[in-house]
Amino acid sequence: MIVAWLGHTGRMTTPDPVMLRAADLGRQFGTLWAVRHMDLEVRRGEVLGLLGPNGAGKTTTVRLLTALIEPSEGSASVDGLDVTEHPEAVRARVGILTETPGLYDKLSAAANLDFFGRLHRLDAATRATRIERYLRLFSLWDRRDDVAGTFSKGMKQKLAIARALLHDPAVIFLDEPTAALDPEAAFVVREAIESLQRSGRTIVLATHNLDEADRLCDRIAFVRGGLLRIDSPAALRGSVGGHGVEVGLSAAPSASGTPGEAMSALTVAARQVPGVATVESVDHRLIVGTADPAAVTPALVRALVAAGADIVEVRERATTLEQIYFEVMGVRPDHGEAV
Amino acid sequence: MRAGIVATVLHREWAETVRNRLLMSTILIPPVVLTIAPLALAGIVGDRVLPPELATQVLSQRPEWAGFSASELAGAFAVQQFLAFFLLMPAYIPLSIATFSIIGEKQARTLEPVLATPIRTSELLTGKAVAALVPGVLAGWLTYLAFVLLASLVYGPNLFGVVTDSSWLVGVFILGPAVGLASVVAGVVVSSRVNDPRVAQQVGGIIIVPIVAVTLLQATGTLLVGAAGYLLLAAIVLVVSLIGLRAGVALFDREAILTRWR
Repeated sequence: MIVAWLGHTGRMTTPDPVMLRAADLGRQFGTLWAVRHMDLEVRRGEVLGLLGPNGAGKTTTVRLLTALIEPSEGSASVDGLDVTEHPEAVRARVGILTETPGLYDKLSAAANLDFFGRLHRLDAATRATRIERYLRLFSLWDRRDDVAGTFSKGMKQKLAIARALLHDPAVIFLDEPTAALDPEAAFVVREAIESLQRSGRTIVLATHNLDEADRLCDRIAFVRGGLLRIDSPAALRGSVGGHGVEVGLSAAPSASGTPGEAMSALTVAARQVPGVATVESVDHRLIVGTADPAAVTPALVRALVAAGADIVEVRERATTLEQIYFEVMGVRPDHGEAV
Repeated sequence: MRAGIVATVLHREWAETVRNRLLMSTILIPPVVLTIAPLALAGIVGDRVLPPELATQVLSQRPEWAGFSASELAGAFAVQQFLAFFLLMPAYIPLSIATFSIIGEKQARTLEPVLATPIRTSELLTGKAVAALVPGVLAGWLTYLAFVLLASLVYGPNLFGVVTDSSWLVGVFILGPAVGLASVVAGVVVSSRVNDPRVAQQVGGIIIVPIVAVTLLQATGTLLVGAAGYLLLAAIVLVVSLIGLRAGVALFDREAILTRWR
């Protein structure tokens, strides 16, 4: 069934599956290009992670896509609305959690939300209903009359997320939502994001937290002055290092020959298993590269046992997002730039 | 410009202002002092008279005071000094509110979420400017009304006429708001460049210098500014304010706030 929707023009149309579009988007500050040649599409209901080091242009990208600043070149649209031509309409359709919560500390939680509800021109009844809904959702209803200045960091962050949702935006931008939060508060905020994800919201998550991006995002965009790479976490793993199996062997193998000869024989045996791409021996371990560890592991174990291996451990090795990050960014923490 | 959005900004600004004790004391204490001061002055002046040279000089500038007794002339000269204070109120109160408001938002980084709503920069600036201007102007006007009431009770009908003549009315009701606007502009411009409200007030306080100069000139009898003089001053202040407003609007630009305000 084709879902009809009422677009901003008021006509009944089939929804564009793409919620956010950027084409050759760029922004220059003085002589410095913070972002350049950014091509990006975010589908409806998708959670996109923006990953990159400090100064990579993540916040600039968010600001461009939320019509907070104008592009120096290229174009971007939200829900079919060009950010340069219709900035107010774009801002009405997006909700943003900025790097810092930016709450009015002397106003109560409810008054903070009411202020933003008024700026979005929500009527009194809608404001009251949604303020209660989101404060309850984030377990802040009992503290609604307390001034925001008395809230913990996690509570402030939750209130800021509630503020971003108040006008029922088509897209939510979350800029470092768990930065500077303790583990408990970060957990609560991540839970909130997961609940938004389950409700089918389109979310753009700018973060440094690789684990968070891995857990929450459908696709991840690596950004450094522009878009370096964009793909799903699984596809990224497949293309950068892929999956593998690590086989731990006894330090005193019962196979014939010297330990070095035994490892060589086992390496050869492993290479002959269908589906095995690479085999590397490290100390008393074999690192086996394969696209499908689950299918390869039984045959691999049988082949190694047949070759005289004393196996003490078998475990799947998955490339971490951290490894992918360093690969895509061209850096290694110990070696600096340009691997 | 949408009045509802401006009113929303105004409402929030005032809601925060009334919760700021320091700011509220800055707003409330001077009007109370200024209302009481004429009574104190009446006690100090008593039956004293002006030195003959000063009396002659005052009468040459204010011939309409020729029918006053010597003590009434001294009283008229004394209360005339208060007009400058009624100009100081719309100068420093808006300056205090504007600097606290803008620098407060810079420090708390509350402007970005606001700018991410469909609000127009002009609506935000107008809301802030009106929120800063109105308390100063209202404080000046209400204090003036209290002052007139007290002056009529303490000094008698002749001096009641002095504090309600055209120079006072133009000074309080036209020059005062013009000075207030200049003060708001100064507050916006200075606040966009510094991160401490006290520094902003000290720098923005330069707006008060011309008023202090007029006060000194009046106090020494060198210059007694009349209605025409105040009108001229109001026109000059308005022109300067409007020129400054262009700079203020540019500094309050959405992109400038997000990318250059630190």
